[in-house]
Amino acid sequence: MKLREVAYSRSGDKGDVSNVCVFPYRPEDYGWLAASLTPEVVKAKFAGLVAGEVVRYDVPTLKGFNFVLTRALAGGVSISLRADPHGKAYQSLILDIELDAAGRP
Amino acid sequence: MSGRIAIGSGSAYADDRVEPAFRLAATGRVDYLAFDCLAERTLALAQVRRRQDPGGGQDRRIGQVVSGLANYLASGRRVVGSFGSANPDAAAADTMDALREADLAGVRVGVVRGDDVLQQVLAADLDLPEMGRRAGELRERIVCANAYIGAESIVAALEADAGFILGGRFADPSLFVGPICHELGWALDDWPRLGSATLVGHLLECGVHGAGGNFEDPPFRLVPDPHDLGLPYAEMAGEDDIVISKTPGSGGAIDERVVKTQLLYEIHDPAAYLTPDVTADFSQVTVAEVGPDRVRVGGAGGRRRPATLKVLVGLDLGWKAVGEISYAGPGCLDRARRGEEIVRRRLAGLGPAVEELRCDLVGLNSVAGGVVAGGPPPEVRLRVAARCATRPAAEQVVYESELLYFGPAGAGGATGSVVPLLGVTPAYLPRSEVRIETELLVS
Repeated sequence: MKLREVAYSRSGDKGDVSNVCVFPYRPEDYGWLAASLTPEVVKAKFAGLVAGEVVRYDVPTLKGFNFVLTRALAGGVSISLRADPHGKAYQSLILDIELDAAGRP
Repeated sequence: MSGRIAIGSGSAYADDRVEPAFRLAATGRVDYLAFDCLAERTLALAQVRRRQDPGGGQDRRIGQVVSGLANYLASGRRVVGSFGSANPDAAAADTMDALREADLAGVRVGVVRGDDVLQQVLAADLDLPEMGRRAGELRERIVCANAYIGAESIVAALEADAGFILGGRFADPSLFVGPICHELGWALDDWPRLGSATLVGHLLECGVHGAGGNFEDPPFRLVPDPHDLGLPYAEMAGEDDIVISKTPGSGGAIDERVVKTQLLYEIHDPAAYLTPDVTADFSQVTVAEVGPDRVRVGGAGGRRRPATLKVLVGLDLGWKAVGEISYAGPGCLDRARRGEEIVRRRLAGLGPAVEELRCDLVGLNSVAGGVVAGGPPPEVRLRVAARCATRPAAEQVVYESELLYFGPAGAGGATGSVVPLLGVTPAYLPRSEVRIETELLVS
């Protein structure tokens, strides 16, 4: 299943760094997402756009994750020649990630 | 100090609408409105306006804001904002003029200066980590440098009874932290409480973006009346008593999901959100719906503020050219790619004046970058973008894109733009290098 079916998201930018936060609609999906939505999975998904690393911060009180993507915006909003220099669309692109529903509670 | 505060967001950036602020003010629910007038690039663009016109570079909405909030200001309620942008003096002059025109006598205006740190950045030859260079190496390209400044000067101006406070590059949450600390009597080194004040500032600083904007994704997420979004505000009587709400009767939403997405917006490590005021810790924050469009938040922490202030350094990077042209129908993708080939060959003659060139196909990969795959599109738009050392080279990029009218069949709707390319890049300056001054004027 697509991440979009189980979670929502928002992306933001600071310089050449993008952050994308992800929250499951159902709190009980938090553990399953923690195991399946790894930084490696996100990094592989954004391979064509993000040149740097992907770090995930977990926020258990919010049942959410914050992915921080470095060298993510071709120099950042003021320098990039991209059509979406902020990476506003990253929040939608991450939701295209395919997950294995097998382990879902 | 009153032990409680109701503070609303007035604006998210320089081009934001002003009417939602007037609407929130008219509800009588807030005693403070904080206007964030800047985004990363805004201040650098304002610096360019100031270079062209020494009386320019301030926020261009000051007259509108003062006149639209005349009753609000007359009743002694207060406004704080980064209206100064690149020119706090010009903003102060605009504010005094507008107060006079609105017949508002006796309003005390706090003018905060000192965020312009261009000389200090050059003198200290600061490292520009995202550029991999030092300031000295890029000296002839550096056009401005502004430090993110904190809530101290705002608190001082409020203590001096200022009703309208303006400055340049206030850090976004600090516009809220100042009034909160003033009204709740919080010391500016009470780090955990500054974490709570910063949490509120962070949730409000983006205006309607924090109240249902940039959120809809049908059919999974819907927001009522998205054409008529209302501004958010906070009611606060202590670190354990914070409720976020929004203009009654407006569109948008304040619910758990909206608040959570705003909470992590443009945050890196949630346990260490760095501002000029505090190292805020949002890692234990809780969010709970307590009524329609009412969300209680709490659990923020804080540690000592960073020793350095973040600075955005503006760089003259030449010119940015963008040309676009559309292809549709069977084979549109092949024709667009052929068009790209033609432009690339034509522009090769310009040599090093074209420093960077990229071509994307809008409708295929211009935003998604190939991350999401789809079937063959019914139409695409070739987008040619370049960073050029000279304006003529940039104009040539646009011209060659337009001349694809004579390229592959069926190219239509050519458009183009050439703008100065002003990059901003971060640096970090010791606090002792930044001298903030506050002046009080009376209308």
